Amino acid sequence: MADEALYEFLHSELVGYVTEKSAKENKKDDLSALEYMGFSSGYRIIERLTKERPRFNDELDTVKFICTDLWSTIYKKQIDNLRTNHQGVYVLHDCAFRFLSKLSSGRQYLESAPKYVAFTCGLIRGALANLGIKCLVTAEVQNMPGCKFHIQVQRS
Amino acid sequence: MSRQGARLDAKKVNSELFTLTYGTLVSQLLKDYENVDEVNKQLERMGYNIGIRLIEDFLARTGSGRCYDFKDTAEKIQAGFRIFLGVSPTISNWGPGGDEFSLIFESNPLTEFVELPDHCLNLKYCNILAGVLRGACEMVQMEVTSWFVQDQLKGDNVTELRVKFIKRLEDAIPAGED
Amino acid sequence: MAVCIAVIGKENSPKYVACLHSENELQFHYKVHTALDVVEEKLSLAGKSNCDVRELYLGLLHSTEEHKIFGYVTNTKIKFIVIVEAANTTLRDNEVRTMFRRLHAAYTDVVCNPFYIPGDHIVSKKFENVVKSIMSGNS
Repeated sequence: MADEALYEFLHSELVGYVTEKSAKENKKDDLSALEYMGFSSGYRIIERLTKERPRFNDELDTVKFICTDLWSTIYKKQIDNLRTNHQGVYVLHDCAFRFLSKLSSGRQYLESAPKYVAFTCGLIRGALANLGIKCLVTAEVQNMPGCKFHIQVQRS
Repeated sequence: MSRQGARLDAKKVNSELFTLTYGTLVSQLLKDYENVDEVNKQLERMGYNIGIRLIEDFLARTGSGRCYDFKDTAEKIQAGFRIFLGVSPTISNWGPGGDEFSLIFESNPLTEFVELPDHCLNLKYCNILAGVLRGACEMVQMEVTSWFVQDQLKGDNVTELRVKFIKRLEDAIPAGED
Repeated sequence: MAVCIAVIGKENSPKYVACLHSENELQFHYKVHTALDVVEEKLSLAGKSNCDVRELYLGLLHSTEEHKIFGYVTNTKIKFIVIVEAANTTLRDNEVRTMFRRLHAAYTDVVCNPFYIPGDHIVSKKFENVVKSIMSGNS
């Protein structure tokens, strides 16, 4: 679909902007602005996505929603594997993450991979935050274009 | 996993995500640059970067050849908006020399949900579009400039983007020739 | 037709309160607070009894001689309270549900405004127009 291409270009521009900004501020590799933009987007979109939906049963139910409904509409497929220790840690494994698929699979691109997952880490964090689940989200890229998103729920 | 509740409309969700992502970009720029004019410039620049790549996609998708004249260009730009943003602006207000026209938008996915606060009246919220046009046209050897004449975010009934042809750019010398 | 509409945030602080007649505002703020207690009660019952709180619309929370108070809680823990006059006996359940649906739709639009910072008071002309329309009973 055409709008997919446009979104990818926009996402690339966001990555480029933050990379440049961090370099200028002598904070190389600081992707926090990118993560924040993802957070803001995720927070807001979940408000719309859950408008018609019945109340979630529990935390796992909420995380599953992210893995199925959210992921398939935005990232074109469901999460391939979801693991949890039932104590607030979830690992979402996407074997072919949308924003990494465009990068070549060579190991030299592994270095840039964090830039292409930062926005999504924020998106997940923002979506869960608005649903009442405060957490930390990090990403692990070992085999491109696969990616594992680690969610650590923070209980106060 | 069994699904309950309404099925999500992928097209709509992606359009909304695009709107929201663009919104966070504008917000971030406003945070980073004190001067609204700088933000307008950045948006145009990013649009340019997108435009130079988007044109390839457009040409591949539509199999378009060279534009016969500027009217042809206008129609292709109109098609581009339909393909990539899902909106159909109307072409109107042609200048006397046939080198200027307006695109009239009654709706615009970029501005859905946006309410501009009073301190942002000089913000050209959709300036990325001006950049996209400039970049895309440059890749097909045309220098154009565009600017917003009317803006729904500022109370106008429609958003009007005016496009002007400046000049034809020199064709790049094909590789292999001296 | 509603006499008071309130939007309460996650931490139970009000984000927006509108009353048809401003002289009764204080009284309505108090009623809204009472209603919130009932909301908390209903939500905490979730899963414990056969009480089904899967629906976002919570129905009638509380009624006094003069007013009926209805509630609705989104998945994002935002509460909407609508107060109508008890004398309004022609008000049907699905009309109340429609009021909340419209309010919910207007609220999600506010959240999607990039210039709105979630948690802030709602300052939006579009939102105000929807609330006015709900209060005056226009569909």
